Amino acid sequence: MGRDPLRYFRLEARELVDQISAGVLDLDQRPGPEPVGRLLRAAHTLKGAARVVKQKEIADFAHAFEEILVPYRSGDAPLASEEMRELLRLNDEISAQVVQMEAPQAAEPAPAPAPAPVSESAPSPPPERKTDEPAEIPAPTRASTSDLDELLDAIGEANAQMTPLRDGCGTIERLHRAAEALSDQLRTGTPGAVRAAAVRLAGELGTAGRRFTDAVDQIERELDDVRGKAEGLRLVPAGSIFTTLRRAVRDAADAEGRKVRFESRGGDIRMGVHLLGPVSGAFLHVVRNAVVHGIEPEAQRLGAGKPAEGTITLEVERRGRFAIFRCLDDGRGFDLDALRRTARERGLLGPGTAGDQEMVDLVMHGGISTTTKVTEVSGRGIGMDAVREVAAQLHGEVRVRSTPGEGATVELIIPLTLLSMTGLIVEAGGSSATVPLDAVRGCLRLSAAEAATAASSGRILYDGSAAPFLPLAEVLYTGDTVPDAAGTGAAIVVDCSAGMFAIGVDRLLGTSALVARPLPELAPASAVISSVSVEADGRPRLVLDPEGLAAAVLRGHGPGARSASASTAEPLPVLVVDDSLTTRMLERSILESAGYEVQLAASGEEGLEKARGGGFGLILSDIDMPGIDGFTLVERIRADPKLSTTPCVLVSSRASAADRDRGKAVGADAYVVKGEFDQEDLLAHIRRLVVRS
Amino acid sequence: MSGPSVADRVCTLRADFDRSFAEPARTLGAASVELLAIGVGGRPYALRLSQASGVHPDRPVTALPTPVPALLGVAGFAGTVVPVYDLAALLGHPIPERPRWLVLTTGSPPLALAFHQLDHHMQVPITDVVEGSIGDAGPHAYLKGLVRLPDGNRPIVDVPATRALVHQLAGHQPVPEESS
Repeated sequence: MGRDPLRYFRLEARELVDQISAGVLDLDQRPGPEPVGRLLRAAHTLKGAARVVKQKEIADFAHAFEEILVPYRSGDAPLASEEMRELLRLNDEISAQVVQMEAPQAAEPAPAPAPAPVSESAPSPPPERKTDEPAEIPAPTRASTSDLDELLDAIGEANAQMTPLRDGCGTIERLHRAAEALSDQLRTGTPGAVRAAAVRLAGELGTAGRRFTDAVDQIERELDDVRGKAEGLRLVPAGSIFTTLRRAVRDAADAEGRKVRFESRGGDIRMGVHLLGPVSGAFLHVVRNAVVHGIEPEAQRLGAGKPAEGTITLEVERRGRFAIFRCLDDGRGFDLDALRRTARERGLLGPGTAGDQEMVDLVMHGGISTTTKVTEVSGRGIGMDAVREVAAQLHGEVRVRSTPGEGATVELIIPLTLLSMTGLIVEAGGSSATVPLDAVRGCLRLSAAEAATAASSGRILYDGSAAPFLPLAEVLYTGDTVPDAAGTGAAIVVDCSAGMFAIGVDRLLGTSALVARPLPELAPASAVISSVSVEADGRPRLVLDPEGLAAAVLRGHGPGARSASASTAEPLPVLVVDDSLTTRMLERSILESAGYEVQLAASGEEGLEKARGGGFGLILSDIDMPGIDGFTLVERIRADPKLSTTPCVLVSSRASAADRDRGKAVGADAYVVKGEFDQEDLLAHIRRLVVRS
Repeated sequence: MSGPSVADRVCTLRADFDRSFAEPARTLGAASVELLAIGVGGRPYALRLSQASGVHPDRPVTALPTPVPALLGVAGFAGTVVPVYDLAALLGHPIPERPRWLVLTTGSPPLALAFHQLDHHMQVPITDVVEGSIGDAGPHAYLKGLVRLPDGNRPIVDVPATRALVHQLAGHQPVPEESS
């Protein structure tokens, strides 16, 4: 291990090469002394390090690189395009050298495929790799050295915490001997001395025990930290693929004689290396296509009233459990007429007129390219094929939009398996859950009166507008008895593509960095749950999905104001059992106006018979009825395997705790007292309990 | 107590001891079966230990809003998130009381079944187990065999059949339905 003199140089060189590659492109886009200075520093460091480990070629390239830049150290003059090309060429040479230096390790077991010789005599910019090979996937993704350093530090720290335990082992040994001595004394010694010895031993055991507890607590914390950092290593920032793509844009623009600027957003979002590799490979084609097919020549752009310089934007966005990679260009859009012609020629299209979106879809299925000549860098619809393949491989989907004259967008949406995020941990109805912090717009503290107003009106005032509001406890209700909680004490305002809304929570527990993973296979969950994270104590915690929450909150605001939880499915009918005609009719009108279908039964017997007929989403029953009373009715329903899962709500004028307890004991899901009869309260119970088709 | 009887006892003990070496080693499962006697929703059942990969008391279960009533939530086992189903609900007699025990089942994907009470662990001669399904429809389809015990007979919960039910409830289809 320690015999590899290049071990550290490889790591350092890779990081420096990354900095240089990104720096050259920065400089290309925005000349000035600042990017030049940064590049010079990186190149200089690389040169020095390479000399130390006798990597003469790398050192020479780095030196040549510096030579070009030195004259531009001060002043804003841009580099001549020849010089820029030379910088890029040197950059490639250095990268190739560094890559080659790593290659022997990986290629050792096989009869090494001759390492690609780096042509020293390349007179012009290095030719693009053959674009016919969509499998050309750069490996841009790895953990950065700083991440590894942090992990190593954390492991070291955890290791250091072993010392008290090690010392403790000695203490235990000593105490063991003392205990043995004490047992000898018990036979021979005087009672007073024995007692004193026993007291001493007990004291020392107590101290040792506390030390052990402290040490174990500490180690537990440290190991938790290690676990967090190690989990994070599996994920890398999406921005690590930007440099490659930016370079591809630059090279394609250079080859086509276009001016294109590259912009990127969302590079901080972390995701699995296994996703970024293929995505980067496919998007190489997408960005090249965007330059070659999309961005118009300068004169044409100016004529169309656009800036001379085209823009290609790469956006990465996380939406719930999906990551979205989006390439936007402000070029001419797909040439739909040319596509139509080509499609006709190849017999891909019938004689009828194909709609625009239909044409775009045809592009998606491959085989058509809009370019009139096969250029060096792009064409033949390969780009789209590559994206489609990657989408299929990663179980994602591709969307393409094009506006003639304004540009095109290619979007790849892939599901994430592991996702690192910062979460806001909230407590509601006795359980805690995590809201992705990047979706949180703000938090409001609510007084009891404000909370009550928000809950009854379903709206909350935030930033001058009324946002839809729903208590989270209602969304998360799982049928558990909710412990007596303080009630809604805060509102979290969440922003998502469906708009802004607020959820009510009992309290905020803080923020935390976490790795979210998909729910296990056999756990189908409501759409408000996106994933789950594992806490330090091993307990899973649910991660909420802003989009799913939005649907739930907004559904609560739709006509008929239906349930907030579960799905959009229709609720099954509600069976109302009451011997009082007035109560039956009152309950029926309340339920029907809330959008439920209602059936009535005038006695417990009739209720049971109707219930056995099946198909009810909930049974609402009075308690005091002649014959089978409400308690018995619920008991019988619970005992019937076919009905046992049907939710039951008891409504009664009996308000005593004993009656409530009895209701709970027989298996009622909720107990509403008629005296304090509150329509909203009743509906809230029904909304969260009712079974949907 | 007279001398000869002690000598007799010693002889017997020695003979037993020697014979234990002469007899072939007993293999578990061949002549006996290991079972867990459990209480599910207030009723006695038994579970084959060979169909379980762990039994855990009082493990916290994170409740999950779900359309499947028998799914209690998820629990963490060594960093893996495992769905927990209420065995009483699966067997058709749910009770409001939360089950305390979790048994991790064998097979994949990971699945834990929750039950209310662990009565005891036992090894019974295979002859005490009456094989055969009990009924063929409804909750009884998940019971396979019966064990005769001093404190009464217990139906044996068939974990693979129960797992199949869970797969069906969760919409998880390991066998693709392609016979259309």
